[in-house]
Amino acid sequence: MALLEVEDLEVSLKSGRDLLKVVDGISFTIEQGETLGIVGESGCGKSLTALATMGLLGGTPIRVTGGRILFEGQDLSLLTPNQRRMIMGNQMAMIFQEPMTSLNPVYRVGDQIIEALQQHETLSQKQARDRAIELLALVRIPDPKNRINSFPHQLSGGMRQRVMIAMALACDPKLLIADEPTTALDVTVQSQILDLIVDLQKQTGMAVILISHDLGVIAETCNKVAVMYRGKVIEAADADDLFAHLRHPYTRGLLDSIPVADKEVEHLNAIKGRVPTLEEAIEGCTFNPRCPNVQQKCLSSYPSVAAFERGHEVRCHFPLEGNE
Amino acid sequence: MNIAQQIYRIFAGRILASIGFAVLIIVVLAAVFAPLLAPFDPLDIDPISRLQEPSLEHLFGTDQFGRDTYSRAIYGARMAVIIGAGSVAFALLTGGLIGMLSAYFSRLGSFLMRGVDVMMAFPALLLALVLMTLLERSVVNTIIVIGIVYAATTARILFGMTLKLKGGVFIDAAICSGAGHASILFRHILPNLLSPLLVQATFIFAFAQLQAAALDFLGLGLPPEVPSWGNMLAESRIYITRASWLLIFPGMLIIFSVFSMNLVGDALRDTMDPRFKDDIAGV
Amino acid sequence: MLAYTLRRLIAFVPTLLAASALVFLFIHLIPGDPASILLGDTATPEEIAALNQQLGFNEPIYVQYFLWLGNVLQGDFGTSVFFRQPVLSVIADGAETSIWLATMTMCWIVVIGIPIGILSATRQGTWIDQVTSGFAMLFASIPTFWLGLYLILIFAVGLGWFPTSGFPSLSDDGGLWNLRYLLLPSLTLAAPNAALIVRLVRASMLDVQREDHVRTARAKGLSPSRVAIRHVFRNALIAVAAAFGFTFAALVSEAVVTETVFSLPGIGRLVVQSILRRDYPVIQGVILIIVVLYMVINLLVDLSYARLDPRVSLK
Repeated sequence: MALLEVEDLEVSLKSGRDLLKVVDGISFTIEQGETLGIVGESGCGKSLTALATMGLLGGTPIRVTGGRILFEGQDLSLLTPNQRRMIMGNQMAMIFQEPMTSLNPVYRVGDQIIEALQQHETLSQKQARDRAIELLALVRIPDPKNRINSFPHQLSGGMRQRVMIAMALACDPKLLIADEPTTALDVTVQSQILDLIVDLQKQTGMAVILISHDLGVIAETCNKVAVMYRGKVIEAADADDLFAHLRHPYTRGLLDSIPVADKEVEHLNAIKGRVPTLEEAIEGCTFNPRCPNVQQKCLSSYPSVAAFERGHEVRCHFPLEGNE
Repeated sequence: MNIAQQIYRIFAGRILASIGFAVLIIVVLAAVFAPLLAPFDPLDIDPISRLQEPSLEHLFGTDQFGRDTYSRAIYGARMAVIIGAGSVAFALLTGGLIGMLSAYFSRLGSFLMRGVDVMMAFPALLLALVLMTLLERSVVNTIIVIGIVYAATTARILFGMTLKLKGGVFIDAAICSGAGHASILFRHILPNLLSPLLVQATFIFAFAQLQAAALDFLGLGLPPEVPSWGNMLAESRIYITRASWLLIFPGMLIIFSVFSMNLVGDALRDTMDPRFKDDIAGV
Repeated sequence: MLAYTLRRLIAFVPTLLAASALVFLFIHLIPGDPASILLGDTATPEEIAALNQQLGFNEPIYVQYFLWLGNVLQGDFGTSVFFRQPVLSVIADGAETSIWLATMTMCWIVVIGIPIGILSATRQGTWIDQVTSGFAMLFASIPTFWLGLYLILIFAVGLGWFPTSGFPSLSDDGGLWNLRYLLLPSLTLAAPNAALIVRLVRASMLDVQREDHVRTARAKGLSPSRVAIRHVFRNALIAVAAAFGFTFAALVSEAVVTETVFSLPGIGRLVVQSILRRDYPVIQGVILIIVVLYMVINLLVDLSYARLDPRVSLK
């Protein structure tokens, strides 16, 4: 049994009387100890997939409108809100893109970690505090005994993201969802945070879903990759296989748009155009307005999944040959 | 975008605010056409028919002097609009000018805004009361004492908003293109502040009604013979058990018009430039 | 904190000087001879001459101001024309009523305004929210005296549950039970202000609810009520506290009306009666005291603001 199985997940935005599908039937599975990378440009539905999995869509006009999310075989949609909260922050935890604003400014960071601990475990104040100091040390915050008394505004962005990670790890989650955890940080801090997540995963054996718009980040950290475009997974494979045999022109484009340090490049090959908005209806393959290899068939029908060896799947009428 | 479209954009889908807007239009129409709408002279005393219950002849009954309450209520709408519009004009003109100039010329500002601080050290009604002790009871003086209180608030608000705009790129651009101070203030800054000023105006209008009624009630507002809703209440408070219509109708009119103005103000604020949303407090 | 408080108190001085100068000039703006104004119509020419001498009304006006200020700083606010008593003791007589009224009103505002505001915000968009927001705006639109008159009519005259007017001191017979005299007045006074707090709590909570850290709190698995109170309301309190100074000013204004409607022997009614009686020394004294009180309250608000928001440093 997989740790997390997402089957045909549909997430829709209610706008007026219309339902706009933001996530349109995506599926993936993740096993204990695996790292799944979900990659795509902003607006492709990757963050909403994460929030839907976590159960944090409440308070927005966005709802899960189809499919199932199975956590350890349990269909999460069948749980009561209270049962769902027993899992949230406990077996399944999440960190966010904006470390500057994701901590409550009026409480000390230690108290915010302790709150996460005491929500799911019966601990005395003293025990919880000791554990919070351990957690801060675990995420490599120097001088944790004093830092526990800091307010968020006294910490740098990188430090705040470490606190967020400490908070997420408070109850030893089986699954950590990291939504663009490094996007808002300085480049030098980015790699430290990524290294930290990778190391912690190795130590604890938890599974990680890493969401990023940066294929380079995904390549460094993940063993499975799903590429999303306009609410659908358009290419999914093991990381090694994906980078060895790129099949979808969109993934190719994402890779080409990463600057490479040791190569002299005239200009970066950005994908032309932009992600179409949800209101724009596109006949056929949704990538066709931007695809360099577009053909007649692409304008009329949406491609179904084509399977290749080692579970490599791609939604393209004319998959690339798959060599660098 | 023309005015009708603007109004549609603000009130479409806001039922309560639309009703409020309609009520205000009725109040303004009643004020303008009071002589046509009122069946009796509001000042006409008729001792024979005093304290009559509402009837077909006297829709809202008559008061202790036999005056027709309905006619007085219609003329009261006129007073309400005059007091409201007058206070708004006074507060926005003086307060607005002080606020804008203070933000634009910082040295002058440090002096003027100190004065505003001093004014704001007095609670609103108290300041109005004290000023009224020095002045005759009259329409103009009532407008001034109410307007002064909100002039200080308006100055403070406009000061903050002008400061925000002053740092904007488009002001730098105007300065580079050789625009003078007056041109920058009134052609570049002021147009940006019109919509928050409009919202502020609606709230001042609403507050002014309550303040004027309170002054009338305390015997320090409009001259007693002026038919205003506040005076009507003040005069007939002792008849509250014997002739309840004398307090219900004017009271309800004040509540409806203030409530309507607040609803409209809220709707305006919701559709306003989000940069200034925090500056205007409202109810 | 202490240094900040001291600095703020020092910053009070210019504003207070200006405000006191205004209050002082007030007497001189009234047409007529100041000494006869201060003594009222019944004074003899000898009394007037004596007061002119005593208060230095023959001196230049700025000298008069400092003489007056010196007296005020020593607690001498002059003598009430009407009561023939020192102004300070006249004010002190009204203080008990007004302080109890203000205290009860504040309790209502907190006990009624805050929970309803939280309810309205946490049920945003539902009928509960629409009804509470609508009523909040309605109560903010009712003239205080009108509400007071009808509360008297219904609960005191009609049902006979409460006394219609007046307030015997708590040290009189009845002790604390005498507070029942203040129940209707305090509710009258609380209504528009509680309405304001409801709207403010709601608006601030909706602002906070959109912030990222609330999502973090929910991601911990906290219950909705815990998120609403510990994370949303707690942070919204910063904006609400800032408004309490404003509430005090509104309270003073409306207390003047409320005390008049209920014939309460408080400072608010004293102001109105003194104005009608042309008892200028009392008007001067009350206004000066209220201005000082208002400034102190604003200082307390700023201090509590800093306690509520660790990002604010008092420098």
